[in-house]
Amino acid sequence: MSPEPLEDLREEEQAPEACPSYVLPEMLPYGFCPGCGHIKIAGYLDEALRRLNLPKNRVVLVTDIGCIGIIDKYYDMNAFHGLHGRVITYASGIKLADPDLTVIAIMGDGGAGIGGAHLLSVARRNLGITLIVANNFNYGMTGGQHSCTTPLEAVTATTSKGNLEVPLDLLETLRPSKPSFLARTSVFGEGQVDLLVEAIQTPGFALVDIWDFCIAYVGGRMALNKRAIENMMEELEMPAGVLYRGTRPEYARAWRDLYLTDTPAAPAPPKGLQVVGKSELDHKVGILMAGGAGQKIRSAATLVGAAAIMSGLNATQKDDYPITVRTGHSVSEVIISPHEINYTGIDDPDIVLLLAREGLTQVARKLKKCSPTARIYVDESLAPAVDSPGQIIALPLNATAKEVGKLAIGPVAFGAALARENLFPVEVFEMAARALQKRAVAEGNIAGLRAGLTLGKA
Amino acid sequence: MIEFIEGNDAVVRGAIDAGCRFFAGYPITPASSILVSMMRELPKVGGVAVQGEDEIASIGMCIGAAMTGYKAMTATSGPGISLYSENVGLAIMGETPLVIVNVQRQGPATGSATKGADGDIEFMRWVTSGGLPMIILAPENVQDCYTLTVAAFNFAERYRAPVFLASQKEVAMIREVFDYDRARAEAPPAFARPVAAVDCVYEPHACSAPDQVPLMSPIGGPHLVRYTTSTHDQRAYLTGDPEIIGAMVEHYQRKIEAHAEEMGLYDEELEPGAETLILAYGVSARSARAAVKKARAAGRRVSLLVLKTIFPVQEKAILRALEGVSRVIVPEMNLGQYVEEIRCLAAGREIIPINRMNTTLVTPSEILERGGLL
Ligand SMILES: Cc1ncc(C[n+]2csc(CCOP(=O)(O)OP(=O)(O)O)c2C)c(N)n1
Ligand SMILES: [Mg+2]
Repeated sequence: MSPEPLEDLREEEQAPEACPSYVLPEMLPYGFCPGCGHIKIAGYLDEALRRLNLPKNRVVLVTDIGCIGIIDKYYDMNAFHGLHGRVITYASGIKLADPDLTVIAIMGDGGAGIGGAHLLSVARRNLGITLIVANNFNYGMTGGQHSCTTPLEAVTATTSKGNLEVPLDLLETLRPSKPSFLARTSVFGEGQVDLLVEAIQTPGFALVDIWDFCIAYVGGRMALNKRAIENMMEELEMPAGVLYRGTRPEYARAWRDLYLTDTPAAPAPPKGLQVVGKSELDHKVGILMAGGAGQKIRSAATLVGAAAIMSGLNATQKDDYPITVRTGHSVSEVIISPHEINYTGIDDPDIVLLLAREGLTQVARKLKKCSPTARIYVDESLAPAVDSPGQIIALPLNATAKEVGKLAIGPVAFGAALARENLFPVEVFEMAARALQKRAVAEGNIAGLRAGLTLGKA
Repeated sequence: MIEFIEGNDAVVRGAIDAGCRFFAGYPITPASSILVSMMRELPKVGGVAVQGEDEIASIGMCIGAAMTGYKAMTATSGPGISLYSENVGLAIMGETPLVIVNVQRQGPATGSATKGADGDIEFMRWVTSGGLPMIILAPENVQDCYTLTVAAFNFAERYRAPVFLASQKEVAMIREVFDYDRARAEAPPAFARPVAAVDCVYEPHACSAPDQVPLMSPIGGPHLVRYTTSTHDQRAYLTGDPEIIGAMVEHYQRKIEAHAEEMGLYDEELEPGAETLILAYGVSARSARAAVKKARAAGRRVSLLVLKTIFPVQEKAILRALEGVSRVIVPEMNLGQYVEEIRCLAAGREIIPINRMNTTLVTPSEILERGGLL
């Protein structure tokens, strides 16, 4: 290693003598430490922008937290300085909102580490932003702690006896996702501007990993210079140059092409329910429908509620089921009432439909405490297991449902109840089914309801 | 026209009618149906909806899109609010209009994914570092889910701030009668985002007085726009100057607090001579309404104040409701959060917090019994 580690950068002047067009002369000199590699990156970016000659208002520079994050204030263009590690998320929102904008994001190696999930995702999406990682192998701003790219054995503020964590290869990490452009360079040597120009011109996601020099901490300690960086690249097998060019479509455009197929229109008016019947009900009725997964309890409950509404009543429906929706209980609570429904709990149900053991287990406590006036319509097989002061009405619900179609068990049970309870007209239930469900499903449910009515009347 | 839909569906309808055209979210019960519906509905009106890789990305994308000219919304539940925390602060700092739906569930941590609670009320109020004012609206039913979502967008745009819709499972995933025509008639007209004139010298945070709201200009539009997470001057340049920082904070405080009454959404049913006031919000307000009906039917005098705007605290409305009252009942599905805001205003009165945090609703009979209204 060179005995004069800093020579490559020390001779750099802080403020460029002639001010390039994207940098605001009144903001100079740069606030970075004298000799900091970030100064060079600021220059490369300016040079690249000048070559591309983009309208300033159509470019946005999105910056992370860290020393590198202060870079936006030197530029005369749109700037978004967000939270640490989240630069990709803001850049993504901006690009999704305005796919024709040139969106350039800059972050440090620290930002790349804490925002790793975003890095993986943006590459997979191939969203058209250019990401520059000013990779100086440590957290400069917070005092030289180790980062996800700090080399093995390096001594930093937080690796006093040497770093034990393998440095991350940003490019190889993203390569399997096939984004549009992956390149590596450093603040020593040449060619950086060419890479940036190509990256910015690339429609999809482009990453330029720039190995950088933190004079205050790890860079100085590691005596980084051109040769040292080259050695490091060789040793770590992370060469400079373009690692990958991909051809996948750019996400913001691709999303619009795929999803925004129709011309935008005013939202279509939703299908409403018409009041077609009249209920004689004069009080609130709480109905518990307790079954198991796969019994279409919820959709049956919705039919009951909708039919009540179509009969001029109010209705509420709440469902309870495990997040593993294909197994376990499914319990729906429906309240129907001629009055406004405030409290939506059913602490003492008026009507209970018990359709499966899982449902019974779930409502057992309520049944044990319910009023003697509660009517509990239960499948014969389950009846012995019901422990309740309520009236137990055991019927062959399952057997009946088997005849008309297993999925109509809910309407079968509700039909049995409707035969004995004056809730709303039978025809309205049928109309609700036809209004809300696909024809075959509706007809199955109507057949179920009718079979249930016969059962209930018997 | 009437429908039988869930609270979350009404939120989606309200958002689209309010002009929301950008949504990003991450799946979580009981908020997932908002994400799924927005992804289905937004493209129909030319909007953009994405599923973020996590909540941090989702809210970050919303903030980026909001500053690029879109009305934006995100939705989550308690665990996701934890991840939103830092970015809510960013939205405050950058004066970003954003609607955040929190469909609360029982916490802490993963808690009960499919059960309701109001455990995040003060969490939302103090969600981020710095302790600046927040705007939080709490729906009690499906109808409110529509109208308050529209109001949330209007406040977000009007005051350039993040606004929480404090929903919860018991409001979001209950299906009930929704009258779309009535909802549209009752909701305020959608507030169009005012933008700076093309030929002006644009400064992102310039305003005529501390309580006034600076004009926006979209990134990529006619002006160069700056945005920063740091303490800043009117041009959005970082500053460490205590005077400028003080003015910035005063602006963030005044633009909300000085307009608290303009954001006052509540239902008051005050009864002359009533000694008891029930003060409620969210789903517990429904239990309060049921309790009030029963108490009045039994000849009791009782007043009711249902707050839809819970922050900024509606001091005037609350003080008015407290006049002549010696007892205040505050039912909540938590260990007693908003009651602390009331305590500050109701000195000298007996305060009866009625709390439940076992995933079940506060019952009307509990309110009547504990409140001495039987
Ligand atoms: C959430 C969060 N955690 C920690 C910090 C403190 N912090 C500021 S900058 C930084 C690291 C900066 O390192 P890097 O991204 O590599 O940028 P550099 O300073 O090296 O240019 C950290 C951890 C923060 N601002 N936010
Ligand atoms: Mg760094």
